[in-house]
Amino acid sequence: MNKNERLKGDLLVEFFSEEIPARMQVGSGDQLEDLFRKNLVSRDINFNSCKIYTGPRHLAIIIRDIDLIQKNQVIEKRGPRLGSDERAINGFLKANNISLSDTIIKNTNNGDFYFYSQNLIGANSAKILPDIINQIIRGFVWSKSQRWAYSDLKWARPLRNILILLNDELVEGKIKIGNNTYLEFTNYTFGHRHNEQKIIVKNINEYERLLNNHNVILDREIRKNNILNDIGLLLNKKHLQLKQDNSLLDEITGLVEFPNVMLGSIDNEFMSLPPEVLSTAMKVHQKYFSIIDNNNKLVPKFLFVSNALSEENRNISITEGNERVLRARLSDASFFWKVDTSNSLDHYNKKIEKILFYEGLGSIFDKTLRISKISNYFSTHFNEDASLAKEAALLSKVDLASEIVGEFPELQGIMGGYYSKINGSSNSVSIAISEHYKPKGFADDMPKTNLGAMLSMIDNIDTLTGFFGINKKPSGSKDPFALRRSGFSIVKIMIEFKLNFCISDLFTESLNTFNNSSEIIKTELQAFIVDKFSFILKKEGLRDDIIESIISLPDLYKIPFQVLCKRIKYINNMYKTEEFKFFLSNFKRLNNIIKANQLQENSKIKINKNLFQGSEEEGIFDVTNNLRLEIINNKDEVEKQENILKEIIKISDAIDVFFEKIIVNHEDDIIKNNRLMLLVNLRNIIIQYSKFSLLED
Amino acid sequence: MSKKKSFQNILMALQSYWVNQGCLLLQPYDSEVGAGTFHPSTVLRVLGPDPIWKAAYIQPCRRPTDGRYGENPNRLQHYYQFQVIIQPSPDDIQDLYLGSLNAIGLNTKDHDVRFVEDDWESPTLGASGLGWEIWCDGMEISQFTYFQQVGGIDVNPVASEITYGLERLAMFIQKVENVYDLDWDGVEQTKGGKTYGDIFLQQEKEFSTYNFEKSNSTILLQHFSDAEKECVSLLKNKDKPLCLPAYDQCIKASHIFNLLDARGVISASERQSYILKVRNMSRSCCLAWMEKNNNE
Repeated sequence: MNKNERLKGDLLVEFFSEEIPARMQVGSGDQLEDLFRKNLVSRDINFNSCKIYTGPRHLAIIIRDIDLIQKNQVIEKRGPRLGSDERAINGFLKANNISLSDTIIKNTNNGDFYFYSQNLIGANSAKILPDIINQIIRGFVWSKSQRWAYSDLKWARPLRNILILLNDELVEGKIKIGNNTYLEFTNYTFGHRHNEQKIIVKNINEYERLLNNHNVILDREIRKNNILNDIGLLLNKKHLQLKQDNSLLDEITGLVEFPNVMLGSIDNEFMSLPPEVLSTAMKVHQKYFSIIDNNNKLVPKFLFVSNALSEENRNISITEGNERVLRARLSDASFFWKVDTSNSLDHYNKKIEKILFYEGLGSIFDKTLRISKISNYFSTHFNEDASLAKEAALLSKVDLASEIVGEFPELQGIMGGYYSKINGSSNSVSIAISEHYKPKGFADDMPKTNLGAMLSMIDNIDTLTGFFGINKKPSGSKDPFALRRSGFSIVKIMIEFKLNFCISDLFTESLNTFNNSSEIIKTELQAFIVDKFSFILKKEGLRDDIIESIISLPDLYKIPFQVLCKRIKYINNMYKTEEFKFFLSNFKRLNNIIKANQLQENSKIKINKNLFQGSEEEGIFDVTNNLRLEIINNKDEVEKQENILKEIIKISDAIDVFFEKIIVNHEDDIIKNNRLMLLVNLRNIIIQYSKFSLLED
Repeated sequence: MSKKKSFQNILMALQSYWVNQGCLLLQPYDSEVGAGTFHPSTVLRVLGPDPIWKAAYIQPCRRPTDGRYGENPNRLQHYYQFQVIIQPSPDDIQDLYLGSLNAIGLNTKDHDVRFVEDDWESPTLGASGLGWEIWCDGMEISQFTYFQQVGGIDVNPVASEITYGLERLAMFIQKVENVYDLDWDGVEQTKGGKTYGDIFLQQEKEFSTYNFEKSNSTILLQHFSDAEKECVSLLKNKDKPLCLPAYDQCIKASHIFNLLDARGVISASERQSYILKVRNMSRSCCLAWMEKNNNE
């Protein structure tokens, strides 16, 4: 072993606290690693790798091959300017306890200065660590944090112990957590609450195993995998499956130190509840998993993960306890279901009249009236029966007054689907209601039916129009009414359901229902939708310049939506081809000449064919006219967009020969302007399709 | 098998446990409150003057909207909390809490006891804190909070509050699924023993009817504004504010608001303004209390 290797060692730091909320644990691990990296690097202490452990009470990091001694430090201090007054120079020398011969003169942007560079021998890492730890805990940011007793330090929950071992030796030190309150570093930690006692850690390599022996699995991934394995063992032999729920699994992994997976039974009387109600009641209140059979049907079992150590009698009594709690929860849910299903829709409508949608935007009932009004216009675009659309719109929010949605807001829509069905609505109406909160943002599931998509869209249109109308637009990071999500949802449905109205038609009807005739608000709403459209396209990997070339079109809001989509799609398909590159370079050349000559764009010079001196001018004239015809006839036709683009690209040949043979800058201004106008006309036709000048080469 | 602890035994065991931990054993506040926190021994005392304050007490709580005419096995419009408030929060408060469970015959090593995130906020008290609900085999049996603010004022040093839902806890220990079946005194029924239902069922029925159907909103609205006026006037004299009587009025206003809410006569927009009114009252009382105690 050479000398350098011996100067490296391993570092273990563990923050032991009271139970940290599950949702904060993963982020706190990432943050811990990040803070250690920054603080070590800034102090010239190198290391090899980090490993992070996160759990309810233990947050730890092991850093491998860390320098035991900091690199030597060079600290350079600037003194007075060369030629300064003697007192200033002496002052500098005295302050640093040096003589003039210790300084050097260096040239800077501001002139020559005396400099003193001090070489400091690197300190022992063990000596610097208390300072590093202090900076880390003070720099730590929790989404919610608290003080305790006399602390002024804030942590997610009280921080009780800090264990630090460097090369298996306790690092001496303490940190101040409040006035006269300190936390001394220790070489011990604590295990599972069932056998809580101080555990002295003597060897960093033994840390994980030692804690495991005391029933704490430190490694989050191992904990999670253990849970999954045990679930498999319990369910596979019974031919049952877990109803997948990754967020629940992650949460549970943060609630247990030594997972003990168990299966409980649900009383059969509750199995007639809608499966969504069962699953949600189990998940939200109790953090239980639902179990399904091979037909995807819920079975009367639930799965839970206990933190108590496994022992037969204890397991039985814990399972019985959990079953008792679930019975109480499900009795409540059954009661709510009975009450809700015995109420008439009329009863609900009376109730939602009293629930405010938002100050200035009327009640929830008013909202359903508004969307039922605009449903007529939209139903044709969705190819749906107008009376069904209206019925779905009117019933879409009744469930907000139901007991179950009061208890489980996440079941809104789904319950409305059940209640409308029970009250005699058709399948298509009740399915539409049940899926009209989809998609929640641009990455969520889409509604499956046209009617559901339509209902979702007009609900979001109403929300956007309403809030924009009372000047509650999102700004910066503030979007309290999740209006961006509404915007995404509208655009996603426009894309996926291949809707072909113009953006300018989206809000007209809705603005009428608010008696709002403001063009400014209408424009803001349209721009908002375009912004979401462009964001989604970027997310799908399309190039910014391609998107820009379309959404910069001056009559953008008046172009049918599918036409926009097709143009972007075809440009994207083509732009890498040789012929497109050839076209683009010719187009840009043409554009540059026009720009260089600053011809009034709207100049009314009429082309005079008699001034033509070559067939190339004739050629441009002809292709312009042909293209004009093509675009006039077909520019709003979805199916023609590919062909138009091909026609545009083809023009490149005519431009190419034109530039080869014809000099635009003719000495006679009349001929020159005639030629320029020829090019302007062509360009003006081409840029009706896309602003090609915005495309990068 | 050992005999299951009765409701009153659980209460007595909790009381003596916390007395042994150095807590004052206090009695309930004699006015209707929604939670043990409202007791001046919590709300006002954590704001001073003594940096050390340890108290335990049982507090009957009224939640008019939770009434179910005695028909729901888990919900009551009147129930009992056992409250422990300790300032500053001890370093071993979690262990002390677990010790209290063992003291009432709930051996924590036989169960799955967990601390699950639950932050607490009382809009009417302008109070907030971080903590957990404590689960025992999936049942929430207590609430644990580190008080950060009360009346909008930072609590310093931080106090820890533990609230046991006594009915829940007793149902867990006695393995009973209907609150009215709880054994109150441990005496056999044939010898005159009483269940929770024997004592409280009629009360639940009558008060549910009163809360939801019969209370006189006009009178209640008058009471609310009287209480508000009285509270303001008792604090008017800046030199000699009557903090406790004023706070008494604040508590009354809070309960009257809950009654009006249960009666369904408060609209969504009015609701917020009522909450704000009570909050202003409680904040004024807290500030007056702080000022008075810091000056004397």
